[in-house]
Amino acid sequence: MGLSRRDFIKACAAAAAFAAAGASVARPEWAEAAEDGITWGKAPCRYCGVGCSVLVGVKGGRIVSTKGDPAGPVNKGLNCIKGYFLSKALYGKDRLTTPLIRKGNRMVEASWDEALDLIAAQYKKAIAEHGPDSVALYGSGQWTIQEGYVASKLMKGGIGTNNLEPNARLCMASAVVAFMNTFGSDEPMGCYDDLDLGDTYVLWGANMAEAHPVLFSRLIDNKLKHPKVKLIDIATRRTRTTKMADEFIAIKPHGDLAALNAIIHVILRDKLYDEAFVAKHVSFKRGKENAPYGLKDKEAFNETPADVKNLSFEEYKALMKPYTPQWAQKVSGIPAAKIEELARVYGDKSRKVNSLWTMGVNQHSRGVWVNNLIYNLHLLTGKICKPGENPLSLTGQPSACGTAREVGTFAHRLPADMVVMNEAHRKKAAGIWGVPAEKIPAKVGLHTVEMFRAIDRGELKCIWIQCTNPFQSLPNLNRVRKAAQSRKAFIVVSDIYPTRSTELADVVLPSASWVEKEGVFGNTERRTQQWFKMVNAPGKSKEDVWQLIEFAKRMGHGALFPYPEKGMHRAIFEEYRKFTLGTGKDLAPYGTYAKVRGLRWPVKANGTETRWRYTEADDEHVAKGEGIKFYKAPNNKVSVWFRPYEPPAEVPDRNYPFWFCTGRLLEHWHTGTMTGRVPELRRAVSQATVELHPEDAKRLGIRNRDQVRITSRRGSIVLTAEIGGRGTPERGSVFTTFFDEKKLVNEICIDAFDPLSKEPDFKKCAVKIQKA
Amino acid sequence: MPKERDDSGISRRRFLKGGALAPLALALATAGGASVYLRPGEAHGFVLRPPGAIAARRFLAACVRCGKCAQACPYHAIRLQDRSVGIGTPYIAARQIPCYLCPDLPCVKACPSGALDPKTTEVEKVRMGTAQIVDREGCLSIRGLRCEVCYRQCPLIDQAITLEPRHNPRTGEHTIMEPVVHREKCVGCGVCENACVLPKPVIVVRETVEVQRDSYDF
Repeated sequence: MGLSRRDFIKACAAAAAFAAAGASVARPEWAEAAEDGITWGKAPCRYCGVGCSVLVGVKGGRIVSTKGDPAGPVNKGLNCIKGYFLSKALYGKDRLTTPLIRKGNRMVEASWDEALDLIAAQYKKAIAEHGPDSVALYGSGQWTIQEGYVASKLMKGGIGTNNLEPNARLCMASAVVAFMNTFGSDEPMGCYDDLDLGDTYVLWGANMAEAHPVLFSRLIDNKLKHPKVKLIDIATRRTRTTKMADEFIAIKPHGDLAALNAIIHVILRDKLYDEAFVAKHVSFKRGKENAPYGLKDKEAFNETPADVKNLSFEEYKALMKPYTPQWAQKVSGIPAAKIEELARVYGDKSRKVNSLWTMGVNQHSRGVWVNNLIYNLHLLTGKICKPGENPLSLTGQPSACGTAREVGTFAHRLPADMVVMNEAHRKKAAGIWGVPAEKIPAKVGLHTVEMFRAIDRGELKCIWIQCTNPFQSLPNLNRVRKAAQSRKAFIVVSDIYPTRSTELADVVLPSASWVEKEGVFGNTERRTQQWFKMVNAPGKSKEDVWQLIEFAKRMGHGALFPYPEKGMHRAIFEEYRKFTLGTGKDLAPYGTYAKVRGLRWPVKANGTETRWRYTEADDEHVAKGEGIKFYKAPNNKVSVWFRPYEPPAEVPDRNYPFWFCTGRLLEHWHTGTMTGRVPELRRAVSQATVELHPEDAKRLGIRNRDQVRITSRRGSIVLTAEIGGRGTPERGSVFTTFFDEKKLVNEICIDAFDPLSKEPDFKKCAVKIQKA
Repeated sequence: MPKERDDSGISRRRFLKGGALAPLALALATAGGASVYLRPGEAHGFVLRPPGAIAARRFLAACVRCGKCAQACPYHAIRLQDRSVGIGTPYIAARQIPCYLCPDLPCVKACPSGALDPKTTEVEKVRMGTAQIVDREGCLSIRGLRCEVCYRQCPLIDQAITLEPRHNPRTGEHTIMEPVVHREKCVGCGVCENACVLPKPVIVVRETVEVQRDSYDF
């Protein structure tokens, strides 16, 4: 304890010197320094997508302390309260330590061989009888890059199915599709430095104060330093973010689609756009409209190149004519004058404008469209790819970017922006994997919602769930839980604690977590961060990579994973890295990441990082003199999409008069399987509550802390009312959090999803409210 | 004596030690004809009483120790002292269960003696005590971490506790969001003390500080 920053840096240098000299030390690249018998190592935080760097103190084979890493560029030694108690997340009393196999209603302890043999037998049987598309693997944005890569290679290159999905489908998929159809490459052009350098920040449906705590602290510091900095919070609920914002603009659920179109209308009408930028970089497009909401099983909707119509700027302007501020006022609830004002904020040449968003935009039945419209604002005004002016889609999981998106553990993706539908991409992947190109199927696999519906339909026979908790986090939860309970599929769950998903499994496998294994995460700002194993996992627990490779051997695909036991993680990463080189998503050699606190890709030839993509000022893939070049987009031109207004899937009516919205809070993370094991965080917030507007509560005779029944067409739960607390939804809406495993709030949620991204809308459905 | 009743920050062990010494102290006091022996915890002078409790000195005389307020509390937050001068009188151990400020004040309604002032009707005007940050160097929020649990859990958020952001010179690019208690709004319910994530809460409810009037207007 009491290890000073100076000692630590000295120790790092010593360790690096050792490594350089080739001296044999136990863990040469580990940043280590022992004092009081505590050895410190670096790792990214296990929780959200911000990617804070922490120092992990180990003594006697146990983590005794964690602290913010002063050398971490994201957090500079700070943490949020979850990060402060990080080590306790691994030391809950009920850690799973041995494989369990279902015998009737009981779970019986088993050996790894018994469990893995059983899983392999079930998978083989299903594949023999129903083909490879009858099995699936459902992973996570909390998988390490190595885990995601092995999973993708096994499923797509080995078993020969694209039924591989991450839980990131529930949080980031809309952002991904919009990045791809606008820029031709996933992930942001900007980075966290924009939070320090800009002067105007427009938040579209993001409660950054609670969901991205340390980043928000950074953003507010910019505001404290510079009086010009303005923070505008556009949301359906007043939050802790609102409290610190300069302005709150209340918006009706789904109203963003109308408001954004009207802002663009004003920008075009008043010629607030950057004519030269538009002429050089932009092409206008119109996609497929009258899209469905995915409420029917197997409802197919795709926007193929044949569906896309190219527009001229004049045609686009004409299409945008009807979206007047007066019209948008009715639909969005934002006064027309305020919409005009927002247009002038975006159009103001003296302002460096940034848009920030998270789940309010992504978990949206037209999420891709809303993402597209935000990009339109930046592309029309040319406020993009410049330090301090960029759109930034914030992520929620530690490696939603690094693993789910970059490795591409989606049903349609391959590593580094490639897709299974493209023959050249399949060939490249097959080449690196050493499998015949025909092995990788061209047919897109089941996306998350359909994957679990397929269990209910009896079409999916086997599913393996790793590192996530779908039987608490999926929408319309009653349907999928009932399907699992009636044992319609063989379900394997790998996790570190008993969860609402392990309780439905046929086989439960104990996993190693975080620093109990070696790994790499990638955060929101393209920062790739590595850590080494520091402690052993308890009991018989094994890391997910080991589980997958052992399973692969039993399935006859062991040859795909010829990695040495020692240095396995390095070998996997180096193989994956081949996909990235020369694509504009270039990663550094593994050894580099072992030394630094992460690097933002594309990593340049000289080993330095890229802060801003597509600009000659920083991106090596843009030649000097080219200025800004969107080199991943077709003909180097990004797309401005015409996206009309279409209504939400379900709206409040007489029987179900309230909007229902779910979200996150600072003290707990996701489904609470880790934070719920930390007594201090349980003490701080012990249960989910339902927030009501004070006037609605008064009308219904509900007082603070009363029990309230919430009922939708899909389910019903009872929660404690919270009125006038940390959040206040607008009149006619209620809000709750989804972390509480005792309250399955997702039973209420509708399983409508965005037709392009297939991401469900957890932010709006209709409910009725009664005092219980 | 069950351990969770031990609210005054005295460990069971210390208490037993104190208990063993008490007869001796009493003997000494009697011998000297001096003042009555006080246990250190109570010597400190503050017991968190239920909402509407009248001034401490009169409370002990007024309370008839019937326990009806404790029975009326839906959260079992009100306990009865089982020792010393105030034996049988109601108190709240905020670290275990704080007062959740029922809008209809069932404890006050149940009080037959007036020890809980029947004129108390508005829960926001109650003054059980005032929260104070007693260890600024220990407070995680003041150290720059994004904690602020006391603030977000405060039933009078943005009134009794506000966040005062200021630049964090240690990192140079973050904000310290310091929770600040406002004594004119704080009711002393102890929700903050209950919620504090540190082993020893750095925010605790203490005796309401009397506002010292002066003509300085700021």
